[in-house]
Amino acid sequence: MTEVVTIPVTGMTCAACSARVERTLGASPGVEAANVNLMTAEATVSFNPATTSAETLVATIRSTGYGAELPVADQSGESGQQHHAEDLRPRLAVSLVAAVLVMLLPMVIAPSGTQRFLLLGLTLPVIGWAGKAFFTRAWKAFRHHSADMNTLIAVGTGAAFGYSTVVTLKADWFTSHGIPPQVYFEAVVWIIALILLGNHLEARARGKASEAIRRLIGLRPEEVQVLRDGREVTVPLQTVQVGDEIVIRPGERVPVDGILLSGSSAVDESMLTGEPIPVEKAPGASVTGGTLNQLGTFHLEATRVGERTVLARIIRLVREAQGSKPPIQRLADRISAVFVPVVISIAIATFVIWFDIGPQPAYLHAMVAGVTVLIIACPCAMGLAVPTAVMVATGRGAGIGVLIKGGEVIELASKVDMVVLDKTGTVTEGRPRVVDVHGLEDSNRVLRLAASVEQGSEHPLAQAIVAAAGAAGLTLEAVQGFAASPGRGAHGKVGGRHVLVGNRQLLLDHGLQADPALAGADRPGTVVFVAIDDRLAGWLLITDPIKPNSAAAVRDLQSMGLEVVMITGDNQATAASVAAETGIERVFAEVLPEHKRDAVLRFQQEGHLVAMVGDGVNDAPALAQADVGIAMSGGSDVAIEAGGITLMQNDLTGVPRALRLTRRTLGIIRQNLFWAFIYNLVGIPIAAGILYPGFGLRLSPAMAAAAMAVSSISVITNSLRLRHA
Amino acid sequence: MIAKSLVTLFGLVAIAWVNWYFLIAGRRRRDP
Repeated sequence: MTEVVTIPVTGMTCAACSARVERTLGASPGVEAANVNLMTAEATVSFNPATTSAETLVATIRSTGYGAELPVADQSGESGQQHHAEDLRPRLAVSLVAAVLVMLLPMVIAPSGTQRFLLLGLTLPVIGWAGKAFFTRAWKAFRHHSADMNTLIAVGTGAAFGYSTVVTLKADWFTSHGIPPQVYFEAVVWIIALILLGNHLEARARGKASEAIRRLIGLRPEEVQVLRDGREVTVPLQTVQVGDEIVIRPGERVPVDGILLSGSSAVDESMLTGEPIPVEKAPGASVTGGTLNQLGTFHLEATRVGERTVLARIIRLVREAQGSKPPIQRLADRISAVFVPVVISIAIATFVIWFDIGPQPAYLHAMVAGVTVLIIACPCAMGLAVPTAVMVATGRGAGIGVLIKGGEVIELASKVDMVVLDKTGTVTEGRPRVVDVHGLEDSNRVLRLAASVEQGSEHPLAQAIVAAAGAAGLTLEAVQGFAASPGRGAHGKVGGRHVLVGNRQLLLDHGLQADPALAGADRPGTVVFVAIDDRLAGWLLITDPIKPNSAAAVRDLQSMGLEVVMITGDNQATAASVAAETGIERVFAEVLPEHKRDAVLRFQQEGHLVAMVGDGVNDAPALAQADVGIAMSGGSDVAIEAGGITLMQNDLTGVPRALRLTRRTLGIIRQNLFWAFIYNLVGIPIAAGILYPGFGLRLSPAMAAAAMAVSSISVITNSLRLRHA
Repeated sequence: MIAKSLVTLFGLVAIAWVNWYFLIAGRRRRDP
């Protein structure tokens, strides 16, 4: 028995923080798996309820120095983040005011004991209240034998503050030893103010990045007009049940998934599919929650409510995806874990070297350089490099009808070099159509009798025949003794005549020969023979039309340097014709559904990284086998579950769009990591004073804090560029 | 001179301790 709980965690500011919470949770008894997501500020824990409880887990998280509360039902994922931002605001305000005052004070009052005491007075609320969280978190981390950015800030500002306080209280002693009573309160205040500012901006930027989810959640109306006992009543969305009759007026959003009962309208589905043209809906049509009704009023029977609606599933997919870590993230995590001890070591070494061989007053310079190293090394930018990009990209994807299941999918999809397309329903409409009827004597009679036999059948070819008869205005007759032969066709009695409808094999079974000349074997499509009273009467040609955008999408994929392959269970002629029309060069026809997966496996063994695009239940194994499965939303739920990417628009143009987005995202991630590394690689030696001997250049602790904030913000800004990808 | 030697010695000990505390002892504690 395993339970899963998602606990909002507050106060995490970098990858090291989330890694620590994750480690602590993972090590506590009864926990089977723990995953902490910095971006959504949530811990997802699977645990054994016999050994531990959600309350214990909350306490465990709190013991690491972060805030945690039991999840509230239907929280939208922003509460923790927003709370964090609101908590930060007054602290930021106080520290900013203090920062301005400590800067102005020396201009008004000359350096003296009074000035130093006033500076101390201004610093106390900043270090004791505004920046207190850095110290408590650093201490709790220390007790767990771990260190994070809070440790660096606490040690850096603590050292500067402690030294300055001693100077303030014992200025005479310093003067008598020939050391100027220099204080660094302004550095302490500025560092805390700038880091709080950085945190605040991050919280806001993250809020922006999770806008996609908020926008999706906002698609649900809060109140719904429901018919109860023949009267229209307004009820909250949560109380709507399956089977309820809902009234939807012009301009209203559809609250839940359902079937249109009466009335008609055009419904704008662009928020789900990206398709800008409203879709006409008549009674019997299915309507998806979250879409926007245009001009008509209609009644809807709710078929799926709450967590089972398409919209809820999309929101869940996006949220899970935004939190998942791509493999490239592990690199950042590994670095953060050893980073802090290494930085502290460098800071100590810096202190020692400045003290031993630096200019006088040696220990003053030594302390400033050591503190500056600690401040500039804060690894926030590194921690934000991957998750911000994944988050913005999945959000952007949701906006253009591309649902990406996670960071790993992004990384794999960006490296794909082969796209395997299923034919039916993917390249083609998946809805066969009768394109030619050939009767030896009377074509209409052939079609009418064939449709009469097939009217009870669920087979797609049968439905195509019935639809063609309907379109031709033919009246069908009742069928008696209907019998279907799987894989061959069907037969039955219509108007006293025995009618066979099926393929060559069915005719052979009944001792009939299909004249090859009749078959039109060179024409692409499926030939269905019709025999009346054991005599061949004619045939129907059925094809599955190619979707209008397929050829353009294939060209687009090829222009991206991808090899496009088509797999189909259909015959060679049909497959070759579809391939020729769409520009696909490599085709595998007559592949049985169960062998589609093997085909994908073979491509992988050839060394390809394969994206498989499909829609049907029979594609699911191949979708799962492929490095990246891309499911068409018009397809089955099974396919969508098996795929890593779901295209909300039911055509192929989503494939190049999705692959472009993932390539762009991985590019941004690489840039982010590169700049974050470079920043620390360059910043730390400069802070340590490497440029001092040659150029006399040193950084002050306050400049280091500003540089750190700038690097975090630049990483976030870079990731946000994906919003327009 | 004595001060410099002491600071150097103290620094080396501190570096050793920091690395032991966070890396070695920390790891042992996390996965015993």
